[in-house]
Amino acid sequence: MLLHVLNRSPATSEVYRQALAAMGPDDRLLLIEDGVQGAVGTLVARFAGLEGRLYAQEEDLVARGLAPLCAPSVVRVDVEGFVLLTEEAQRTVSWF
Amino acid sequence: MANDEAQGVEGDLLVILRHGPHGSSWLREGLDAALVAAAFGRRVTLLFMGEGVTALMPAQQSGPLGQKGTSPTLEMLEMYDIDTLLVEAEALARFGLRAEGLMLSARAVEAKELSVLAATHSLVLTF
Amino acid sequence: MRYAILLMGAPYSSQAAHSALRFARAVAERGHRLEGVFFYHDGVHNAARLAAPPQDEPHLVDGWTALAADHGVPLQVCIAAALRRGLLDEREAARHGKQGHSVESPFELTGLGQLVDLGLRCDRLVTFGP
Repeated sequence: MLLHVLNRSPATSEVYRQALAAMGPDDRLLLIEDGVQGAVGTLVARFAGLEGRLYAQEEDLVARGLAPLCAPSVVRVDVEGFVLLTEEAQRTVSWF
Repeated sequence: MANDEAQGVEGDLLVILRHGPHGSSWLREGLDAALVAAAFGRRVTLLFMGEGVTALMPAQQSGPLGQKGTSPTLEMLEMYDIDTLLVEAEALARFGLRAEGLMLSARAVEAKELSVLAATHSLVLTF
Repeated sequence: MRYAILLMGAPYSSQAAHSALRFARAVAERGHRLEGVFFYHDGVHNAARLAAPPQDEPHLVDGWTALAADHGVPLQVCIAAALRRGLLDEREAARHGKQGHSVESPFELTGLGQLVDLGLRCDRLVTFGP
C-alpha cells in the first residue's frame, strides 16, 4: 500500500490525473499545500472512488480558510498524521 | 527490450519523468539521477509520463536554442545499462506519437500497469 | 524508522521548503531517525548563506541549520545543481575563481549519488517539490 502526496490544486494543474493514474486500489492520497483545494466544493468529485483513502493536511486547510468547506469524506490529518501516513505506507510518491 | 510485461518490471529505482526537454531542468535532473543510480550498479526503470513522452522525440536538437538539451544524455542510457524505458500510452496518444517512432526503444504502458510499477521498485522518484 | 527527505523547492517561492522543514521536525519528534535531507533542483537555494528574510517570516536556512544542530541531520546539497544556480562553498568558489561564497556548513555540497544511496538505505524517502 503506497501513499501518494499531491500539492497542486486540481483547479490549476492536471498533475492530479497522473497521481490518480498511478494509484493502486489500496493506495492513499494525501492533499497538501494548494492540493487541499481538491478537498472542497465540486473539486473533490475529481477524486471520486477514493472513499476512505483521501486525506488532507489540516494546517494547509486552516491557513487557507478552507477548513469549513472540506468535504466530510476527506480525512483531515495534521503534520504528525502526515508522518503516520508515511509510516503506514510501504513508500511515498510525490506529485507536484 | 528486456521485459515483455510491466507486471514483471521491478527494480531498485523507478524514475518518473513528467517533463519534456528544454522548457525546464526537470528532465535533465531526473535523467542525471537515473544515470547516477545505474552507474552505482542499481537496476533502474524509466517511466515517461504526460509531457515526459516528448523527451523521446526523435528530431529534437540543441542547435536552434543554444541550450544543451537532453538528446546526448538520452543516448547515454544504453551505455549505463538502463534499458527498461516505459512510456504512458495515453500520453503518447495525446501527443500523436507511437512507441515505434521514438528516439529510443520504449514500451507503452496502460494506466493500470502504472500502479504496479510504483509498488515493485524499492525507491520511486518523480521529476 | 530511518527517514530521508528530498527537497526540490526554493525557500519562499513555493511552500515546498516550509512543508519539508515542518515534516522533518515532525519526523524527529515521532522518534524516527532522519538520516539526511537532500537538496536538488531549486531546493539547493535552501543552503543560501546570505538569505535575509524579514524578521516576522520563517527563516528557512536557519531552520535547516537548527535541525542539523538539534538532531544531527546531514544536509546534503547536489553540487552540480548548486553550482549552476550560484550556490558555492569556499572550496568551489576558490576553484572557480569567485569572490565570496554562498554555502557553508552544516550544508555540504555532494554528489547526486548520495541521494540514491540515501533513498535506498532508508525505510522512507519523502519528496517535496515546488
